[in-house]
Amino acid sequence: MMDPIYPWLDPVEVRRLAEGLMRPNRETAAPLSDAGFDDAFVGFATDAAPPPPAAAPPAPAAIVPPDLVPAPVIAESSIEPEDPAPDVVARGPFLDRITRFRDWMRAQFGATGVFILDREGAVIFDESKHGRLHFLARSLALASRRQRNSTGNVHVKITAGSTLEVIPVDTAYGCLVLGAVVPEALNQASVAAVMDALSKIASPPEGNG
Amino acid sequence: MISIAVSSQKGGVGKTTVSINLAHSFALAGVRTLLVDADPQGSVGLSLTRQSRLLAGFYDYLVDPGIPLERLIVPTRLETFSLVASGQASDYEAGGAGMGAHLARVRGFLRSVASHGFDLCLIDTAAGLFGITGDVIASSDAILIPQQAEPLGIRSVPKLLEGLNRLRVMNPRLSVLGVCLTMVQNDLAESTEAASALRQLLPPEMVFRTQIPRDGLFVRASARGLPIGVLEDGVGAQAVFDALRSEIEAKLDPTSARG
Repeated sequence: MMDPIYPWLDPVEVRRLAEGLMRPNRETAAPLSDAGFDDAFVGFATDAAPPPPAAAPPAPAAIVPPDLVPAPVIAESSIEPEDPAPDVVARGPFLDRITRFRDWMRAQFGATGVFILDREGAVIFDESKHGRLHFLARSLALASRRQRNSTGNVHVKITAGSTLEVIPVDTAYGCLVLGAVVPEALNQASVAAVMDALSKIASPPEGNG
Repeated sequence: MISIAVSSQKGGVGKTTVSINLAHSFALAGVRTLLVDADPQGSVGLSLTRQSRLLAGFYDYLVDPGIPLERLIVPTRLETFSLVASGQASDYEAGGAGMGAHLARVRGFLRSVASHGFDLCLIDTAAGLFGITGDVIASSDAILIPQQAEPLGIRSVPKLLEGLNRLRVMNPRLSVLGVCLTMVQNDLAESTEAASALRQLLPPEMVFRTQIPRDGLFVRASARGLPIGVLEDGVGAQAVFDALRSEIEAKLDPTSARG
């Protein structure tokens, strides 16, 4: 009797999807409204990719990875190498590295807010003052991963002049979700650069495995 | 106010028939109901009156949200039943089918409907779960899914469920009222077997007990531009939609449904 239908679908998977839909979404219990969308939300960006705006802070033609962004000058330091080895500059306390990454995001892409979540949604770093976007970012990251996009990044236009760029990045510590509030959606080259930078920054020091 | 999107993955499953007759049933029960045609093909307008095809409507609002809602609302002889046609602007003119591109305007439209004192906004959408239909679902309180009782339709169920799961990310409050089997032909084995297979496949609470039969009355009602319950011999068919309404009311919070 079921021959015309069942060979076409996986009943177990269908049941799992259906039961998930019939359960009240537990996230609705959170005191968030509209999963982070507020009245300023004007809609999703419809396509990827305009380059960073010309008005962005002066930037070199090529994207400079944050490894090469000079660390804050330390007064006692008498030696300032002209060409610091990237992996030396990139090292240091994790928070320092993340802070330098945030500064790089600001300089390169005009990011006004950057946050990083782990795969469970716990906040690793957030100076964005956009806490209500965390749930949205994590949900979008999970959804885009399920679709197996080439890079997995997603962007959402959150106000007339700002876009939330969500970039899941596989690191040595697992998948991290980067959320960045930028003036325009990032193009694929920029996304790749950001993924590479965050992956390096979130890698353990050499020798530690 | 409660907003319900009537949507399906596949076209031609009877969304417009369900929308018109269900809206009529709610209105007969005293629920102040607005039926919105969000299908650029304008099926509600085509089904009801020749004039309604010429009215400004939902897509005009998406292009220009400055249009007051009063200019779009078409009253009917039933005081509790009003319509908004799809309008003169098409999906293309509204900016194509970019998912999320009209989310804010759809939500603005629904806020405006609520402020006009309607209890229920039933939205007949275009087929598929993307583009403006996706925005409507991502803005609605609930979704009702008509599903044709035939094997090809049932095969589209996994895609439907995947699409709904994605939309629930955008709208975590979306309540899935369930799937309503349509065009059921009790004298056709393939039709009854497809209906039975769907009931086995999905959780019982996801499939309405009420089934919409394939009935020549619907064609006659559509030809005359009327909900089926208005036909002299449409009482039996109207009872089917009344049963569907009762099931929906039981699923919705009755206080908010009438508030």
